Amino acid sequence: MLFGQSMPYGAPAAFGPQTGVDPSLLVLAGYNLYILGIVIVIALFLLVSVIPFFAVLFLCEFALKILSETGIQFFKYLLIMFRGLRRSPLRTALSYLALFVLTVVLTLIYAVLHLLSNVTTEKEANFKVIITERYSIPSQMPPSHLETLKRMIAKLPPDLRPVNGDDDIMSWSFTGGTTDPTNPRPENMLFMFSMEPRKILTMMDGFEPSNLTADELKMMQGYVKQMEEDPRRILVSKVRMEKMGLTVGQRIKLYGWGFNDVVFDFEVIGMPPDGKYEGAGFMNNAYLFSQIKAYERLKGTRSPLADKCINLIWVKVPNKEAYQRLSALCNDPKNFSPAVKLETASAGIGSWLEAYKDILFGMKYLMAPCMLAIMSLVVANAISISVRERRTELAVLKVLGFRPWHVMGLVLGEALLIGFFAGFLAVGLVYFGLGNFKFQVAFFGAFVIPPETLIYGPMLGMAVATAGSFLPALSARNVKVSEVFSRVA
Amino acid sequence: MPEAIVRVRDLYKSFTRGQERIDVLQNLTLDVGKGEFLALMGPSGSGKTTLLNLIAGLDQPTEGTIHVGSQEISAMSESELARWRTRNVGFVFQFYYLLPVLTAYENVELPLLLLPMTQAERRRQVMTALDLVNLTNRMTHRPGQLSGGQQQRVGIARAIVTDPTLIVADEPTGDLDTKSADEILTMMEVLAKEIGKTIIMVTHDPKAASRAQRVLHLEKGKLVLDTGAPALVN
Repeated sequence: MLFGQSMPYGAPAAFGPQTGVDPSLLVLAGYNLYILGIVIVIALFLLVSVIPFFAVLFLCEFALKILSETGIQFFKYLLIMFRGLRRSPLRTALSYLALFVLTVVLTLIYAVLHLLSNVTTEKEANFKVIITERYSIPSQMPPSHLETLKRMIAKLPPDLRPVNGDDDIMSWSFTGGTTDPTNPRPENMLFMFSMEPRKILTMMDGFEPSNLTADELKMMQGYVKQMEEDPRRILVSKVRMEKMGLTVGQRIKLYGWGFNDVVFDFEVIGMPPDGKYEGAGFMNNAYLFSQIKAYERLKGTRSPLADKCINLIWVKVPNKEAYQRLSALCNDPKNFSPAVKLETASAGIGSWLEAYKDILFGMKYLMAPCMLAIMSLVVANAISISVRERRTELAVLKVLGFRPWHVMGLVLGEALLIGFFAGFLAVGLVYFGLGNFKFQVAFFGAFVIPPETLIYGPMLGMAVATAGSFLPALSARNVKVSEVFSRVA
Repeated sequence: MPEAIVRVRDLYKSFTRGQERIDVLQNLTLDVGKGEFLALMGPSGSGKTTLLNLIAGLDQPTEGTIHVGSQEISAMSESELARWRTRNVGFVFQFYYLLPVLTAYENVELPLLLLPMTQAERRRQVMTALDLVNLTNRMTHRPGQLSGGQQQRVGIARAIVTDPTLIVADEPTGDLDTKSADEILTMMEVLAKEIGKTIIMVTHDPKAASRAQRVLHLEKGKLVLDTGAPALVN
């Protein structure tokens, strides 16, 4: 019997004790194959990424060949540098790849730090403040807090009130649940921002018109309208839809995990644009509040979360003075029970990031400098090998009348070309590739690759190329012609 | 009697290896006439290449003077020597030392990149040099696509392209078969006799030396035999 007897790890019996093969080895082999597959994919990607590099080199060389016909010697000199890169295509390609990969990683680190810096930098006008429960985590507040806050805001002088009135005030109720209460698993769980639908487009980071295409904006406006017409309608991100096996138009029952005995009957009407709040969904908070009331009717008692169903309140204040006035009102324990605190979004995110400060410190002050050092060492290694191999050739150039700085310039120039193109193509890939997705990182806003990286990338490549090739270039500059030829002889 | 284009007087060259001082050339005096084809012979370590390097401005003497034309090259700095070499000396090496990534044309053009001239002038000079060594039909080939003899002819074209006063050749036929070596030597004879270039060639090969107008023998850094130039009073 070949497959009749089941074996540990699901291996067929034929591979069991009869053959003497330990099934755990098969599992191990499977993992190895998986890793090998990943390595092959990465290697193929790197191989493919070399093609544009050589294509650019070829085009530049072609252009220089034409330009050098003008008689300007600089172009000839530059042409010799380009030709020098052809001397050992493999070494050139490997140096390029090392710089390319490291520049990609450094650009991503820069983009993350840039994003964090943006969200933690205090703005001067029209900035968001967050109101949370003062003494408990997670923050849970009664809906009456929102009404109290709105009344307070209405009493402020006009120039201290939010510019867009109620549209600049938003509450979040984190609502989660499972479609299968008997077996809650990651595949059947859904987390949602429960809020007033129209505020998705006025207050949620990442949904600003500047972060959406015209089609995306139109689509979102349509969804908001539908959600307002029927509070049961929800939006679920594409990633979550795939994970849960949902389709647009499907109706689902969600059993709330925070709101015990509250069952939601949703209709999935669409997905936010790719990259926006992936993994989460959006629901109308009117439906949440109505279900909490339904609980009361059904059970004859208030829901335990009836006075705790608002987690965060966001207000967009027009200026610092408005923030200070509102802060004083919110921080006065007489006005809110349970007490709340108000802080700017940047300060709030800053305090949340405190827990990760060591990681961020490591990224900024250890990882990035180490990567720069590695990049310089890669260049130094490649260029010093090249100089060692070409000592005679460099000596010949000196014999022909090339000055020491000409020789040094040739060596530095070759390294700079690799650095420049590696930096340029790496940030090009990151900016025009990843940067186009503008995916959302939690509530930090869209993760974008800052446009300045298009300048920093090539500059970074050239800087590390200069640092790495300086000593080898200096050694090339100091090649003693008579010594080289006496050794050769 | 042709004027002496190279004048070497009381030349000493020594190196120090650790505590030891090695005298490579000792009290050497020599004149080389304009348009003369001179061969330097001698056993290994006799100082031939060192003398060639000194005359070509690749190294500085320990003592003594070297004049080439009207200029005392033994008193020049490294940078001045580099500039001087561009215009006044052409080099031919045993192993050609062409840049493998450049075509024959580009290799010959290389020394001209350092001189102020128009693209048309540069092209004319390169074509003239390639024509002299009969390689215009191979000018787009890279060194790897040429035979040893052809590569050496490119080397000669590169040496003469700046129209230098002096051509120095270190074992130019050392890496070639008999036929190619003969072609190269014939070419050098033509350069000396018909174009009036002064050529100083280091060689171990008596047959190659016999093609020169004059042969100098060096031993332990001293001149031991000078066959004498027919038209030059030494």
